[in-house]
Amino acid sequence: MTGRVLVITSGKGGVGKTTTTANIGTALAKAGNKVVLIDTDLGLRNLDLLLGLENRIVYTIVDVVEERCKLKQALVKDKKNPNLCLLAAAQTRDKTAITGEQLKSICEELKEDNDFIIIDCPAGIEQGFENATAGASEAIVVATPEMSAVRDADRIIGLLEAKEHIEKYHLLLNRVRPNLIKTNDMMSVEDVVEILSCKLIGIIPEDTGIITSTNKGEPIVNDEKSLAGQAYHNVAKRIMGEDVEFLNIDEPQDFISKVKAFFLKLFKKEA
Amino acid sequence: MKEIFADFYNRIVEFFSKTEEKDKTKDVARNRLKLVLMQDRTNLNPRLLERLRGEMIDLLSKYVVMDKELLELNFTPEDDQLALMLSIPVIRAKDEEEIEAALKAEDEEKERLAKLAEEAEEDDEEDDDDESDDLEEDIETDNEEDTSEVSDSEEETDETSSEMSENSEIPPPKKKKKKHKKKKYQQSENTDNEEKKENLEEKDNIENKIENTEQTETADKQLTEEIKQEE
Repeated sequence: MTGRVLVITSGKGGVGKTTTTANIGTALAKAGNKVVLIDTDLGLRNLDLLLGLENRIVYTIVDVVEERCKLKQALVKDKKNPNLCLLAAAQTRDKTAITGEQLKSICEELKEDNDFIIIDCPAGIEQGFENATAGASEAIVVATPEMSAVRDADRIIGLLEAKEHIEKYHLLLNRVRPNLIKTNDMMSVEDVVEILSCKLIGIIPEDTGIITSTNKGEPIVNDEKSLAGQAYHNVAKRIMGEDVEFLNIDEPQDFISKVKAFFLKLFKKEA
Repeated sequence: MKEIFADFYNRIVEFFSKTEEKDKTKDVARNRLKLVLMQDRTNLNPRLLERLRGEMIDLLSKYVVMDKELLELNFTPEDDQLALMLSIPVIRAKDEEEIEAALKAEDEEKERLAKLAEEAEEDDEEDDDDESDDLEEDIETDNEEDTSEVSDSEEETDETSSEMSENSEIPPPKKKKKKHKKKKYQQSENTDNEEKKENLEEKDNIENKIENTEQTETADKQLTEEIKQEE
């Protein structure tokens, strides 16, 4: 078995890299794949919290690199899904504790008996980014429809393009708010895609469920009703090569906007 | 009756669609973003762009009379490519005589600068403390090696100038240096802007050096004065 190595990156912090990693990983595992998630945000680990595994971590990636344990010992199994494992980051060390080469060899080893290795990249374009991308051959660039996030994503895309081992990369647009787009107060998905000229792999709507799911330590893809969860499931399907249509993420309208839409429709007919 | 009804209806529609007509912040964001990404994607920073604009004005004003204030130079998107757009508000084209005169004046100016540089070099070699009225020369005589380099790089922004200076009398070791410099300039002209940038930075460094040496010199003077006072 040769697994695929994906890196989830963004440049800007707080756009949802870790949430995306946790959800795509869980969704892929639910679909029957063997998945390992690697947190490379040394010193600021959070992927364990989102998966609810913070109490089960014994060894970290630094322990593996410094040969205090075997790679298999450091893999923490998910509570629900035995197909999903986490290789946690060290909380007490900084980004210099591992090198890109070391991470690459870990990925090579994990490739042998896993379908997907998903790397959660730290924010920024420094050493942490270089390390995280070293072993990957595919990348998902996470951005929100905000100026700063799009600008940083553009920078990241430029850096990824310069890396020969990155065969393909896609854009995942996170925290999209259809109501704001409708009133022209937020850049639309098309706007961002046009500006970045990058292929889209997913549109995730803003969802308060993300906060509650993080509180519980359970990725939102486990919630069948959630719109964001469905969107993440679709992303996982696209990663597996399925052709899935983009989700209609229009929020249910309130009364006023319904009346407004009704009148506008009438007016258009008259004209 | 029908008109009154239509008017009433229009007012209602207007009321409900009012929110939609306010500033479209998304368009603002999109346009700002496009512009900033264009700047990000090119290596030319605003400082260099301003310099390029200045050089364009110098070059063009030899041939046309234009409104220098309104000359615009900026990057704009052209389909999928980035275009460097230069908009020149031409007042009138100069006639042949004027152009000839401008070119001649330019050549004379270069010659003058070349001569100044030579004089400065000679001054350096003789270790002379002569002070002249010219500000440029003043700095040059004060600060030995570095300064003569500055004057070099300044004049070598044009090839003809260095050629001229080579034709006239120059001390042999300096001549070598000049040739080398000229080569370097030609290279940078042919290759990408990064090298150009380097050259500019080099020049900046030299200028900084001058400032530093000036500062240290004044500091030295102050120190010696203090020591004297103590004695």
